[in-house]
Amino acid sequence: MSTWTNTLFYVTFLSQIFLLSYYFPTKLLERMRYVLETYPPSKYPKLYPQPLEYYKMGQWGFKWVTRGILVLGFVILYAVIFLVDHSSFADDGYISEFWPALYGVIQFAPLLVLELTEFSQFKRMRKANTATTRTAPLRRRRLFDFVSPMLVGMTIFLYILFILFDLYAHDFVLDWGHDTLQRVAVLTVTNLLISGIGAWHLYGRKQNPHQTSDDRNKQIATNLNSFLYASMAMSIFFMAQVADDLIDMNFLDATLVSFYFQVITFLSLGHALRSLRLEDIDFDVYKSGTTATT
Amino acid sequence: MKSMEIITDIDDPQPLFAQLIAQIKQAVLTGQVSPGDALPSIRQLANDLELNSKTVAKAYRLLERDSVVQTRGYRGTFVHPDALANSTVDLTAWVVGKLSETIAALRKSGVTDSEIRIAFGNVMNDRSKLGA
Repeated sequence: MSTWTNTLFYVTFLSQIFLLSYYFPTKLLERMRYVLETYPPSKYPKLYPQPLEYYKMGQWGFKWVTRGILVLGFVILYAVIFLVDHSSFADDGYISEFWPALYGVIQFAPLLVLELTEFSQFKRMRKANTATTRTAPLRRRRLFDFVSPMLVGMTIFLYILFILFDLYAHDFVLDWGHDTLQRVAVLTVTNLLISGIGAWHLYGRKQNPHQTSDDRNKQIATNLNSFLYASMAMSIFFMAQVADDLIDMNFLDATLVSFYFQVITFLSLGHALRSLRLEDIDFDVYKSGTTATT
Repeated sequence: MKSMEIITDIDDPQPLFAQLIAQIKQAVLTGQVSPGDALPSIRQLANDLELNSKTVAKAYRLLERDSVVQTRGYRGTFVHPDALANSTVDLTAWVVGKLSETIAALRKSGVTDSEIRIAFGNVMNDRSKLGA
């Protein structure tokens, strides 16, 4: 077990700790704070179907849960460096991918809760919406209005390439319980799920009753692009895993998983934060006595 | 990606499907949509406006009857090539005119208003005779 591979993992894992539990949560907290200060309930009542304390409490909870996970990350890193006996923990004696994978799932949890909270926020907004008017654009929403055909083609190409590569690497043998089948199944299910959610974004019910069509279009474009990037990243990650097995570079597994979590976050959350700038969102629709018209 | 907005109001005395028809015709007349333009699918418009899809389907069906829109199978609904000319035809005004002429002729023959109302109701309710 060489020192440089371990060091590479430590640096990558440190980056995972920082990116998912400090950098992005801090960015999200800054946005929450900006919205609460710039668009207060007194002037923008439709934005707050719940009392202000509820949002402040949520903000506080998110901050301390992510800070707690940040500390946990350092504890895991310390344990991996000084306490865990890797030869007894994994057959090959290398640092197991279990550590970055487990920690990545824990890191994603508050982000997922935040996403789910958004749905309940929209539900409350719809319930509180007393306007008798409803607006809709007289234009059909089509997939290629929001994402480039090249990106969709590239995603499909990488998916097919991954399947062919994995089959090639395993002499086109597809046994039950084999890694190839599991990987193909996971990626296929993920892509189907992504397609379903994408279709729901395109044709489904408007979640935020006050959102303007322009803002909704921007959000749809951002989400669809994020989904495609995530699918491509997953195909590439699985191909890297196959290559890893093929050329016997198992010592890179843990680093690869840690790097994968960061890429996925960067392409999904990072892309959303870059694309949906608060300054570009029309908050006037949340003032009392206004309806979304553009 | 800016486009014309349809606005429905549940407090408006005009039925929702009639609001949709009026606004789509208005969009054609003001050039906000042109012949050949794709219109939203029934499901999309119903979801966006929080309407029953049958309401949107009824509006589209009546617009198709008036040759303002045309449905091209699975490809969806498009603005009809003759939509501009057909959007100016006010079918309601035409029906009112025809009925006014008939009622005037009946009154002239000595038929009372209550007799006309009863007869009109009977004719409208007897769908088998009308073939509707």
